[in-house]
Amino acid sequence: MPDWKAEILRRLAPLKLAPMREAEIAEEIAQHLDDRYQELLASGQSEDAAFRTSLDELKGEDLLARDESPEAAQRAALGELRGENLLARGKSEDKARPAALEEHDGEDLLAAGLKRAEKNFYREPIALGKDSSNFLSGIVQDVRFALRMLGKSPGFTAVAILTLALGIGANTAIFSLIDGILMRALPVRDAQSLVVLRWSALHSPEIHNWIENGDCNITTGSKQAESSSCSFSEPFFHDIASHIDAFSDVAAFSSEGELTWGGVGAVRILNAQTVSGTFFPTLGVTPAAGRLIQPSDDTASAPPVLVLNYSYWKNQLGGSLSIIGKTVSLNNVPFTIIGVANPQFNSLTPGEVRDIWIPFSVLSRLYPDSGQKPRETDVYAWWVVIIGRLKRGVPRVQAQAAVSAFFHNEMLHGAKPLSKPSDDPRVAALPAQSALTGSKTRYSAELYILMGAVGIVLLIACANVAGLLLSRAEARRKEIAIRLALGAGRRRIVRQLLTESVLLAVIGGALGILFAVWGTQSIVSLMAGGSASAFGFAPGIDGRVLAVTLLASVLTGILFGLAPAARGTRIELTQSLKESSGGSPTRRRAGKWLSLGDSLVIGQVGLAVVVLIGAGLLVRTLENLKNLDPGFDTRNLLTFGINPPLMGYKTPQAIEFYKDLQERIGALPGVNSVSYASNALLSGSLSGTSVHLHGTPKEWRFPTDDLRIGPNYFSTMHMRLLAGRSFTSADFARREAAAESAAVQARQAGGASQPGSAGKRAVKSEPLVQEELVPAIVNKAFVSKYLAHKNPLGQRLDEGPGYVIVGVISDAKYSNLRDAIGPTMYIPSDGSWGVSFEVRTSTNPAAMAETIRKIVSQMDSNLGIFDVYTETQLIDQLLVRERMIARLSGFFGVLALALACIGLYGLLSYEVSRRTREIGVRMALGAQQRDVLRLVVGRGILLAIVGAAVGIGVALAVTRYLASLLYGVHADDPVTIIGVAVLLALVALAACYIPASRAMRVDPMVALRYE
Amino acid sequence: MDSTSSQVEWKRGSAELLILSLIEVRPRHGYEISKLIEQRSDGTVRFYVASLYPLLYRLEKRGWIQGRWVEKSGQRRRRYYRLTRQGRKVLASQRHGWHVFVRAINRITEVENA
Repeated sequence: MPDWKAEILRRLAPLKLAPMREAEIAEEIAQHLDDRYQELLASGQSEDAAFRTSLDELKGEDLLARDESPEAAQRAALGELRGENLLARGKSEDKARPAALEEHDGEDLLAAGLKRAEKNFYREPIALGKDSSNFLSGIVQDVRFALRMLGKSPGFTAVAILTLALGIGANTAIFSLIDGILMRALPVRDAQSLVVLRWSALHSPEIHNWIENGDCNITTGSKQAESSSCSFSEPFFHDIASHIDAFSDVAAFSSEGELTWGGVGAVRILNAQTVSGTFFPTLGVTPAAGRLIQPSDDTASAPPVLVLNYSYWKNQLGGSLSIIGKTVSLNNVPFTIIGVANPQFNSLTPGEVRDIWIPFSVLSRLYPDSGQKPRETDVYAWWVVIIGRLKRGVPRVQAQAAVSAFFHNEMLHGAKPLSKPSDDPRVAALPAQSALTGSKTRYSAELYILMGAVGIVLLIACANVAGLLLSRAEARRKEIAIRLALGAGRRRIVRQLLTESVLLAVIGGALGILFAVWGTQSIVSLMAGGSASAFGFAPGIDGRVLAVTLLASVLTGILFGLAPAARGTRIELTQSLKESSGGSPTRRRAGKWLSLGDSLVIGQVGLAVVVLIGAGLLVRTLENLKNLDPGFDTRNLLTFGINPPLMGYKTPQAIEFYKDLQERIGALPGVNSVSYASNALLSGSLSGTSVHLHGTPKEWRFPTDDLRIGPNYFSTMHMRLLAGRSFTSADFARREAAAESAAVQARQAGGASQPGSAGKRAVKSEPLVQEELVPAIVNKAFVSKYLAHKNPLGQRLDEGPGYVIVGVISDAKYSNLRDAIGPTMYIPSDGSWGVSFEVRTSTNPAAMAETIRKIVSQMDSNLGIFDVYTETQLIDQLLVRERMIARLSGFFGVLALALACIGLYGLLSYEVSRRTREIGVRMALGAQQRDVLRLVVGRGILLAIVGAAVGIGVALAVTRYLASLLYGVHADDPVTIIGVAVLLALVALAACYIPASRAMRVDPMVALRYE
Repeated sequence: MDSTSSQVEWKRGSAELLILSLIEVRPRHGYEISKLIEQRSDGTVRFYVASLYPLLYRLEKRGWIQGRWVEKSGQRRRRYYRLTRQGRKVLASQRHGWHVFVRAINRITEVENA
């Protein structure tokens, strides 16, 4: 029987069909020809004639051959011209056909027909890696094959995916935090055209009330030490609004600090922001319910109104719509709730959550008897942040030039000049998006450090998986060699191997997102945990984060897959095909002592060491801060804030109230002693002033922290009196009298300054004529800095009412743990403002809070207590960031170490299994177990040592970037470095042990037969 | 020659119709199809391998017919083509179009003959 298939395949060859398809077609057509041949034989034809006739069917042109193709049509037409009936022929004509068709043989009709039919037929490149013209089908095919290959080694796949998931997940989590905290767009309409004004001058202008609420970044970037701030006076804001036409809208805001809320729900202290009537319209913020503050609400005659923050409305007021229109009291002043801002608008300044917004115009009503000049009209009081919206088409620099010129003129030549020409006062109009930093900066250093750490972890994960793939590529040499031998292109095989690694990375990335969701939540709770103020950010996994993760996954896959793939396909074919699957013991190329696998492990160990040293430094910082002696006893100490003056108490009443409360709490069982002060220690608040030491040149002033304290303060705090005496009740009486006369004088003078209500620093007032000096007690730091070699007792301080030092007290930390203890002056409290109570108990202090709350509410049901914490909780709050970064970096350090050791373990166990034969030979020739042990462990430890040395070198170069976060430890702390080295050595030994013990158990007889 | 030539044109457009009709009732393989065409037309119409199979593959790719290898005991395996649901619709419409066309031609030729 003729070999039809060969003939058919010859004709199909130019089509380059997928092999399976080609075989299928050949089989089908061969059968057809065979049937035809048998039939012709049966009809009596000779074998030769039957063969020729059947074969002609392959060339035979009939009506079907003539369709759309112009060439075919032309050919058929030519045939017709020659008088040939190509279409309707009986058997009789069969013999005439071959001759007529000979000339067409060159251009095969079967092939031509099939070419059209098979044009887009799915071609499966059976010889994997065969170059394909169809890119997409190739990808699908690659992915399918990759999935099959990964499924075949589930152990490898699981380790690789888990490793990548941890690496990518950690990065996604930290990136989502960076995205959510540092990169989030301002929640306003068209944030790009919004600018915030910041002035700077060589010397601070002559102003007497300057409130800076930390809304914007006040570093000017200029090297000179110059004054700079975003706070302006309210009159200047109105001037800008009316004089500068570069802006379509101008608005201003300020923080009002704490106000007492009453009337609806429980009495509580909340955070208010004061805004101009143009604030919401300028920002384009919409209400979620009711309406927002309008310019008409910001006039002296308008009734007081307030707008609620959405989450405050939801969480504290139950989100009830009926609350709109209700009247509540703020500091006993009635306010109408007019609306709720939309949920996206928590605050203009990132991270600073405000519970309510009130118009500027209500301020004078909130503080009617403050005895001060109203801030609204005071050009000496700078307290509002000004934002402007640029008119369409007006560039920022143009607006800046206009504002700056106006400011310069006002400062030098206005009705009340505040600067000298040499001060060069000017204003910058900064993009609000970047200039309004708020609490962003609170976490930025930590987040960038963590981003570095997780970046390194991802690199380690990549190196780890690259190592695994490399071993796998070695194991797959034969497979790849076969494919290359079958004609697969090298590029195609690299692509296929890369598909495998990208697939691994993408699956790892998907799993990583799950880790990230969980991780982000945990980190946010670490950041917000125990913090006194609401955490104003809501980072999460959004589209942007997902896109970055996907991109990172794909890049990761290419990064770790490229080297193994390139290496894997660089194969000497004949050598590889001849090799046994066990591999040859002499594979390692001579003269190249460091293989790619070795360098990957060294890299991993080195990177892990960098992360571990960083983490070690941060953990030690946390420990140092935790174990620090703050100078007073922090155990069994409860603090809480109370502010009767907010509710209209006059100073004598407030003092009476404090005395009464102190007595009542002191009488409680389990309370050892009670006192109060203007600030709770270690709560983050600080009050400072500057004093003039009597007898020094008049213009010398010495900065000092100050704390106004109640009776028994030092004994309650367990601070030691080093010299002199403590305060007596007569001292307090004297201080109260001084305060009273000062208040009278201030009222007579029309008022000039305002107590530091929301400002970070108390505001100074001019010394008063005083018959008797108020006693003061200073700390040791004050004495050693300002009064060294002098007897401090009896020294006079010209400040406020005038003080005389009567005692010296031991040093204690004031606002936080990190800052060095500065000179501090303790003076008797005059009760003029809110205070923080300190309650020393003999039992659990937290349990005391409820009883105290009841006592206060019995004394005055309108008064609430706030900031109720034990001193231990306050310290925990202070250390939130330290704890967060220590824990996270510690976690990432351990993760990095674990990954690096898995990499080391993987490399060694691969080496052992590859060299089983060699080890067998060595043992057969007399090598002892310990020689084998030395062979394997020695190599592992060598790699670990080289890696550690590299890592320590890199760490020494980079840990200085951590310096600002460290406390009590140097960036090149030898203890940490040695500790990390020891830890690494132990873990590396453990990682070497398993492969080594496997090597030691090698049976020479088995190994020599090992294939 | 003229008469055969025009006959050819009609058939040419209807090659698909022929194949679809032949496998309407039951699946058939390629040789069977070509044989049936030849027999039923008394040898007037013949499809050669070079064009039959490309056409079958094209129809298969369009989803009108579906080929399946069938192995019967004692025989070589063969590829049988059956009509798909879509093919059935195409067949119905082509068949209708064909009848309309033939009737029209008939009417024209009858008038001429009369």
